[in-house]
Amino acid sequence: MKLYDNRAWFLVLPALVIVTFVGIVPLIAVTNYSFQDLFSLNNPYWVGVDWYRNIVTSERFYASLGRSFLFSAIVLSIQLPLGIWIALLLQRSNQFIVSTVLVLITVPLVVPWNMIPVIWLNLINPNAGLAGKMLAWLGVGFDYKFNALHTWIVLVVMDTWHWLGLVVVLAYAGISSIPPAYYQAAAIDAASQWQVFRFIQLPKMKTVLSMAVLLRFMDSFMIYIEAFRINAGGPDSATAFLSLDLGEEILSFNYGPSAARSIVYFLIVLTVAWTFKAATSAPAPAVPPTQELAT
Amino acid sequence: MRAPSSWGRIALFAVIGAFILVPLAQTIITSFVSTLPRAGIAEGHFSLVNYQNILHSAALKDSIVNSIIYVVLNVALCLGVGLPAAYGFARYGFAGDRQLFFLLLVFRITPTVVLSLPIFVLFAQIGLANTPVGIALVHCVFNIPISIWILEGFISAVPREFDETAFLDGHSLPSFFFRHLIPAIAPGIGVAAFFCFVFSWVEVVLARILTTTGGKPITMAINGLFGFRTDFGLVMAMTVLAVLPGIAMIYFVRNHLAKGFVIRT
Repeated sequence: MKLYDNRAWFLVLPALVIVTFVGIVPLIAVTNYSFQDLFSLNNPYWVGVDWYRNIVTSERFYASLGRSFLFSAIVLSIQLPLGIWIALLLQRSNQFIVSTVLVLITVPLVVPWNMIPVIWLNLINPNAGLAGKMLAWLGVGFDYKFNALHTWIVLVVMDTWHWLGLVVVLAYAGISSIPPAYYQAAAIDAASQWQVFRFIQLPKMKTVLSMAVLLRFMDSFMIYIEAFRINAGGPDSATAFLSLDLGEEILSFNYGPSAARSIVYFLIVLTVAWTFKAATSAPAPAVPPTQELAT
Repeated sequence: MRAPSSWGRIALFAVIGAFILVPLAQTIITSFVSTLPRAGIAEGHFSLVNYQNILHSAALKDSIVNSIIYVVLNVALCLGVGLPAAYGFARYGFAGDRQLFFLLLVFRITPTVVLSLPIFVLFAQIGLANTPVGIALVHCVFNIPISIWILEGFISAVPREFDETAFLDGHSLPSFFFRHLIPAIAPGIGVAAFFCFVFSWVEVVLARILTTTGGKPITMAINGLFGFRTDFGLVMAMTVLAVLPGIAMIYFVRNHLAKGFVIRT
């Protein structure tokens, strides 16, 4: 049991001060801007909810929202099962293989985000890139610039390359926390591999996996630099995601509209975080009682 | 359990390894090729010219220094305020603890582009724009939650009696932290430092908006290399240099990488 002691606030205070300064204060400022027309920051003109009305009544917003959801759905449905599967295979491997695979698969995580599209554009370049030359040799007319499907394929493969490591690390963390007694009990009960996965491994991975889902959902939903560099939202807005619209407005210094858009996006984030919290703090699902399995 | 074929597994890992490595291999190869016509070197041939050009460019060298300064500052800040906070969350209940934890979660997942406009305005007013210190501070918004998350998991795994014994021995809280807690959770501190380093090192949206005229980190120096005739060899050489510290960090924490997320429930 934790002790209840309000003096613990002193322990969290330094962290809270910094988060207030770089998170909460900017949010308050952006809320303020979102109700004003700011030709320059010194001449505010109150416009009420005009900017918000513009956003929620524009078809472009819903189109971008739909594309972002679709992208996140595709990315999650590929990376999550793949990451879990790799983690399951790792769990049966020796320490050397585990270290090697984990080191290798996390390398893309340390590549600066603006360089990831550069690396991939270089790779699929038909004149110089390994993948580009390969596709040309196979006779595939690959055209990520003007074929929307091909742009999407590049983005999904690139995002998987970039983030698969995070899912694997989290899933492996969940699996390796399962005590061997669980597997011994399962073996005595002659449980199938699927049953072991469904009733032991999956429930034990629940916390870390929900974290993986949350992080992967948010980062793919708000994909910005990577998508922008590949095809700048094209062809014909086929990859114009939510963040690209916001980034465009900020770069043209439309303070009011971009502030309103930031708030709308922040509310989406808040909803997602709230849903996540509600989902993970729900009562534990029905699984075989741990005492029985452990003995 | 049925023993799966180990050769099948190894073949599969080889495929995944190739998928990860091919784009990186291409990058490394390009970094050793002269990609612009130059006197004395045939275009498209092996050359060290790109790495030599980095050594001759003050702007590129400065950017490496800037990156190192801001990332070290950021990791130090996040661990410095994250450790006491994680200890508070791990050991005590207090009014508003769950709400505070939720707040941290929200800021961890808030896309940087959402905060970039007001941060730019705010930091320009107080003179923190165009400095590595500004970037180090602003990256705390997503890294403090990360460090608290990870450290809290490691601290929770240490039994409470460990603290109580130290306090009975007459240790004050700071002395307990330095003499007992930090040595006990050293791998956790390594893992937290690793993830803070990674997320700060790769972030570009806030780093870009805060360094329009000066204090540019590596990422922005690379952006500046794109132009009418981009020297892709030089871009790739800078990318290789930008990835090396991260790979070194991965190597140091490789055996603890997955443990950072185990304990927290």
